[in-house]
Amino acid sequence: MHATLCDLMTDIIQNAVEAGATEIELTIRETAEEIEFKVKDNGKGMSSESKAKAVDPFYSDGCKHAHRRVGLGLSFLFQTAEAAGGEAAIESQEGIGTVIRFRAQAHHVDLPPFGDFPVAAAMMLTLLPKGEMCINRTVGAKTYRLLRSELEEALGGLDSAENLNMLKTFIASQEEDLRKAG
Amino acid sequence: MAKLTLDDLRNLRDEKKRQMTQRSAEGKRGEVTIGMGTCGIAAGAKIVFDAFLDEMEKAGITDVTIKQTGCMGLCFSEPTVEVSCNDMPHVVYGNVDEKTARRIVREHLEGGALVSDHIFDKPSTDIIKGAE
Repeated sequence: MHATLCDLMTDIIQNAVEAGATEIELTIRETAEEIEFKVKDNGKGMSSESKAKAVDPFYSDGCKHAHRRVGLGLSFLFQTAEAAGGEAAIESQEGIGTVIRFRAQAHHVDLPPFGDFPVAAAMMLTLLPKGEMCINRTVGAKTYRLLRSELEEALGGLDSAENLNMLKTFIASQEEDLRKAG
Repeated sequence: MAKLTLDDLRNLRDEKKRQMTQRSAEGKRGEVTIGMGTCGIAAGAKIVFDAFLDEMEKAGITDVTIKQTGCMGLCFSEPTVEVSCNDMPHVVYGNVDEKTARRIVREHLEGGALVSDHIFDKPSTDIIKGAE
């Protein structure tokens, strides 16, 4: 199982990258009662048959590893949501893209910790080899938005340790401001 | 910490660039690729990624890029890290934790020596090819 919610999000973003997405949007919303996130991508999407099988841990489409018979990412997500008093859902259309939703009770005893968001966000923003990635983050009434293209332009690249550390610092400052207000 | 704007980020980048003026900026000599499949994430790849960022900055290594990829098929030895540097064999390190990540930076990227006890994908193919 994944140790944090950030790990779950990163896994779903990685799925989107592997589905050939060029545009990914992650929206995370926290209130006093609930935490929810949504990953929307324009990747290859899933057929209704694949969608039905996607949450089965003993199913993988075999596209990347021909002999593999397990696919755990989405199973972890659904299991965590159900354990923490929430739910997860998949909407997908072949050739159009996929939307994955996760919702859980904010103070449920089985909800994993949120995790180190500045590091996870820096990773997620740079997972996509080419294209646009957007993160919308809301805590209570406060919100901020990270756009990969803007950050890449501001830093002059997102592939060196120095630039990625600056990116982490930038995201940490947004998080701190969000938490202060929230 | 005060909330940073994109202009603050640009200024921070310019300041860092000024600090780097004595260092060589002639292209990149290598690439570190961290496996971020479900297996890698579950095994702690995020901590490894962060350790690489921290140690590479401390070591002043600016000519090696950091990338991420999905599962490399070595789930049993996650987190895995592929290191490709000029003039050195191409290797995949396995069971990389924070301490090993820092060793890879200091010994492999900085010192030019393989971290032999964590090599999971043998570098012999490269060595043989190089010798041909």
